[in-house]
Amino acid sequence: MKFNSWYLSSFLISLIVLIPIITVFLSFFENTSNYYQILKDTFLLEYILSSGILLIAVLILTFILGVGAAYLVSFYKFPGSNFFKWALILSFAVPPYIFAYSLTAFFENYGTAFTILKNLFGDGNYNKNIPKFDGMIGAILSISFSLYAYVYILARASFLYQSQNLIDLGKNLGFSKFKSFYKVILPAARPAIVAGLSLVAMETLAEFGAVDFFSINTLTTGIYNSWIYFDDLAFANRISFFLLLFIFTLFILENLSRRKAKYHFNSRAGFKQKEKIKLLGNKSFLAFIFCFFIFFISFLFPLSQMLYWTIKFPENLFDLNIINLFINTIYLVTLSSLILLIFSLISNYGNRIANNKILNFLSTFSISGYAIPGVILAIAFITFIAWFDDNIIKSFGFGSIKKIFIGSILGLVLVYFIRFYSLAFNGIKSGYEKMNISVDESAYLLGYSKRKTFLNIHIPFLRNSLLFIIILISLEIIRELPITLILRPFNFETFATTAYISASEDLLEAAAVPSLFLILIASLFIIVTSKYILRENE
Amino acid sequence: MNNFFEVQNVDFAVGGKAKVRNVSFSIKNEGDIVCLLGPSGIGKTTILRTIAGLEKLNKGKIELKGKILSSEKINVEPEHRNISLAFQENSLFPHYSVKKNISLGSERNEGKKNQKIKYDDLIDLLDISQVLDKFPHQISAGEAQRVSLARSLVTQPDLLLLDEPLSNVDQSFKEEIQEKLKKILNDSKITTIIVTHDSYEAFYLGSKCGIILDQKLKQYDDPYNVYHLPNSIEVVNFLNRGTLIPAEVTSPKSLENKDLGTITGNFVKPFPIGSKVKLLIQPEDLHHDDSSNLKLDVVDRKFRGTNFIYTLKTPNNSLIPVFVHSHHIHQHEINEKFGVKRPIHIDHIVCF
Repeated sequence: MKFNSWYLSSFLISLIVLIPIITVFLSFFENTSNYYQILKDTFLLEYILSSGILLIAVLILTFILGVGAAYLVSFYKFPGSNFFKWALILSFAVPPYIFAYSLTAFFENYGTAFTILKNLFGDGNYNKNIPKFDGMIGAILSISFSLYAYVYILARASFLYQSQNLIDLGKNLGFSKFKSFYKVILPAARPAIVAGLSLVAMETLAEFGAVDFFSINTLTTGIYNSWIYFDDLAFANRISFFLLLFIFTLFILENLSRRKAKYHFNSRAGFKQKEKIKLLGNKSFLAFIFCFFIFFISFLFPLSQMLYWTIKFPENLFDLNIINLFINTIYLVTLSSLILLIFSLISNYGNRIANNKILNFLSTFSISGYAIPGVILAIAFITFIAWFDDNIIKSFGFGSIKKIFIGSILGLVLVYFIRFYSLAFNGIKSGYEKMNISVDESAYLLGYSKRKTFLNIHIPFLRNSLLFIIILISLEIIRELPITLILRPFNFETFATTAYISASEDLLEAAAVPSLFLILIASLFIIVTSKYILRENE
Repeated sequence: MNNFFEVQNVDFAVGGKAKVRNVSFSIKNEGDIVCLLGPSGIGKTTILRTIAGLEKLNKGKIELKGKILSSEKINVEPEHRNISLAFQENSLFPHYSVKKNISLGSERNEGKKNQKIKYDDLIDLLDISQVLDKFPHQISAGEAQRVSLARSLVTQPDLLLLDEPLSNVDQSFKEEIQEKLKKILNDSKITTIIVTHDSYEAFYLGSKCGIILDQKLKQYDDPYNVYHLPNSIEVVNFLNRGTLIPAEVTSPKSLENKDLGTITGNFVKPFPIGSKVKLLIQPEDLHHDDSSNLKLDVVDRKFRGTNFIYTLKTPNNSLIPVFVHSHHIHQHEINEKFGVKRPIHIDHIVCF
């Protein structure tokens, strides 16, 4: 095998992405302070228990919302079904922590619900009759309504590519509609649904903003707290290790399911376009209500709440330097997307031409960064830089490099890179999978060098995939909270961090303005790429 | 004088696993066409890929125009070989139109004074003018194959490699394309190696044919010799154009078979008198004669348009193919008796 520069670059990129994972793994075997023992006897169990309850409840709710909505819009025609098809993914624009702020703002004592009732019916003691969605229930609702779209998108894509032949087969066997659903349609979409639920599970375990807002002690908040409040990096890394084990199990499960799901999406042989059934009367009304309820709660509700507060407290709009926040956000998005794209392209191309088993394994392993909570990545990164600084840099007599990487744009972008590398890598990989290797070989035989093949054949071919990846990464970075919070330079704020800081200081009204802008920018990105997200371009 | 192209003792391998061993053959003159025949999966494509430089070589040597392209120590990268390979499957650039795909092939020749092939002639000959503005996914497999062929041809390579070039072309159109392809290759004097499993295609296009069987190049000869003078039982079985029946050599110019009696002719390879041999009977060797007293049972009849191939069963259960022109009025049904003309004379007697 020839160790060319493409191979070497690909190898190094994978290795850099793997650093935090290796750091977390190694730090498990280090000693920690006595506080570990105390926590182990008291809070650790609570962390695990809370994470478990949260996970199970969110999975059940996202399954019902995601599969239910996907089934209705894929198989039936009813008023608004074409609108809901893409509108239901707008919930991606509302991160769980903003949903949590809205939920609290609406239902709290003297909150928006109270104001509405007062305006409608005059003064009264409405507070005791208004339900309170805080604590665990608040966290479950916030995360579920924000993340159900993962299940919706994948289930819908699977339903979309289910051939009419499959449904006809059910009818031919004499199945009722309900029996067809659970005997034919659901099993055929199972890998896609499991893949969606696995993504939800990983995001739920990694969720920081909403659970922190509702003061739920999960493993993720435990990691953050042990670092911020107890200054115990080693303990933070130990909790991370437990969380990682759990997440890796889900990651493997997700990967296995996705492999099968891909089969479903690509299988076009004998494909027969489905004909949607037109719903009438009550059934049509119920289908509309179900989809509208999800759309309203997941998107319109938080958007209206934030808009209402922005209008009600306009001074917050002028207190904030919106242009500055916008520039900061766009700066991070542009820089990170560019770096992610360039390195993922190099890595993918290196993999493609080297076709080496070690490199393939390393790449598969390195893309697990997406499954690791941002909190863990940020802390593992700090741990690694501290170790590298103390043991390597100082031994050569150089000055400290901590300031270069911690609390700097460079460090922030580097951890974004690790976190979102899999998005870019997998996006390009799936683009490449549509291009037979004989296309490369044809180019070589036409006299193209490897570099010229990459630039003149591959890049134009991957153009659409690259555009889609840029928007996905942008969406993620705009919403990202814990990494930005931990690693941002002093006085450098984004819409997400400004919203978080205001909310953590109990200034929910002030959190509304950055939240509103965040939702609007993210919505714009989603609308632009809805066709790709819904896989209607394939 | 040196050969134009030469393969010397090469093991053709994929991923370190040899598929065809110790292969040697050469192409004497520029512009010659060679066809490699063999069953699917035998390693024909591997041979082309290795010659093109897409697979590495661990044993032997490949030379083109006196220059070593591949050996244990030397490996010229594919882009520097000026060898073109048209893949069997669609390898067109999916995001470029057909026209652009072909023009990318001609980039290599920009500035070349001696343009052997004119773009317009090629488009016309391969009948692809109607698909020029389409994208690869919008054209049929047969059209894609012809476009791929055009792209390879416009590069005007020193050596053109074609992997089953007409496998996806409609049967009705195949002969026409074969004729056009042969004309283009002959006119442009582009040296070509064609891999195919269709022996008729190989016999028509190639000035030499190589038969690959059991990891070896079994025979490399003129098409006529490959057909009429196969050098092994394996080649006979692969070509599937005859049957082997037991016989005994009775003189330098005759043999005796229990069912057919005396057969005369010229031995390709001499055998001592009294030798027990297997005699190759090809469909053209026996002739129909209703008045003959040698009657055999018809067990099958294949109508091929211009002719019938009857399969006859001898009393000793040998199955013998016999060619009869289809305009012959007297057709024989299965289980009927079929007269074979005597005495039997075969121009070249092939025995093993």
